[in-house]
Amino acid sequence: MSDETTDETCREGDCRETDERMERIYEYLDGQLSRQDLEDVRTHLHDCPDCATEYDLECIIRSVVRRSCTERAPDTLKVTIMERISQLRGEAGHDVVGRESA
Amino acid sequence: MDDHEENADVSEETEAQRRRRFEAEAMQYVDQLYSAAMRMTRNPQDAEDLVQEAYTKAYSAFHQYKPGTNLKAWLYRILTNTYINIYRKKQRQPQQANTETVEDWQMAQAAEHTSSGLRSAEAEALDHLPDSDVKDALQQIPEEFRLAVYFSDVEGFAYKEIAEIMNIPIGTVMSRLHRGRKLLRGLLTDYARERGFKNKKLEAR
Repeated sequence: MSDETTDETCREGDCRETDERMERIYEYLDGQLSRQDLEDVRTHLHDCPDCATEYDLECIIRSVVRRSCTERAPDTLKVTIMERISQLRGEAGHDVVGRESA
Repeated sequence: MDDHEENADVSEETEAQRRRRFEAEAMQYVDQLYSAAMRMTRNPQDAEDLVQEAYTKAYSAFHQYKPGTNLKAWLYRILTNTYINIYRKKQRQPQQANTETVEDWQMAQAAEHTSSGLRSAEAEALDHLPDSDVKDALQQIPEEFRLAVYFSDVEGFAYKEIAEIMNIPIGTVMSRLHRGRKLLRGLLTDYARERGFKNKKLEAR
């Protein structure tokens, strides 16, 4: 039964096509699939070693990207922002946007 | 009763109340917006300026924000618009390559990596890549792709939210994500291979 499912899924989605394969893995990881599709992909990942490998790698990449891109703003930034907002209040209607940064 | 409950009547609040509400609700995202701004501007000073600018705009428009809707996405949209409309034009740096003609060699390289697969040692190396490599790789992919990938993978926004933030159709979000991820993976795999072959034991930074 589960073998049948695998074969069918593979033929239908044409798993050997990398793009198709990856697209489904992306959508799966992105939480963008319907409940039924989600189940199908889950089952498929369980049965198809190639897709499972791709899935694992994609998970690693995402966690590495998340880890690397978590910066902390300088402590002064919040203060500066609130100061600018206070100024904005003081000069209601005045355009404060043209601050030069060159 | 909560000070900033969902159904508070925003139109009747005083300036001081609005400022308090803004500080309580919007300012918690400063670090996240700063990280995103770093992916846009590539350097700390410009990122700070951009975040300041975006927050100032956000405050000016805060009366238009509907309490109970997605504030984080709303702020990201302002940040992205500010970057595109004002900031990027000021920058005197060379424009990114045109998205449509983008780096065929990069795409080919990405496809090659995907089809040849990775050994688990390389997966390991990938996992231990230093942050600097990952940031470098991200900076190398075209901006439109980079931001879509960032919004999805780092911030966890749904396709629909990314579409609103970037002001593009959902189909475009999906194709940018797809291409961006492929490119990123190709580059990261290169870094991982290089490092994996040079060092047996890698230290995460």
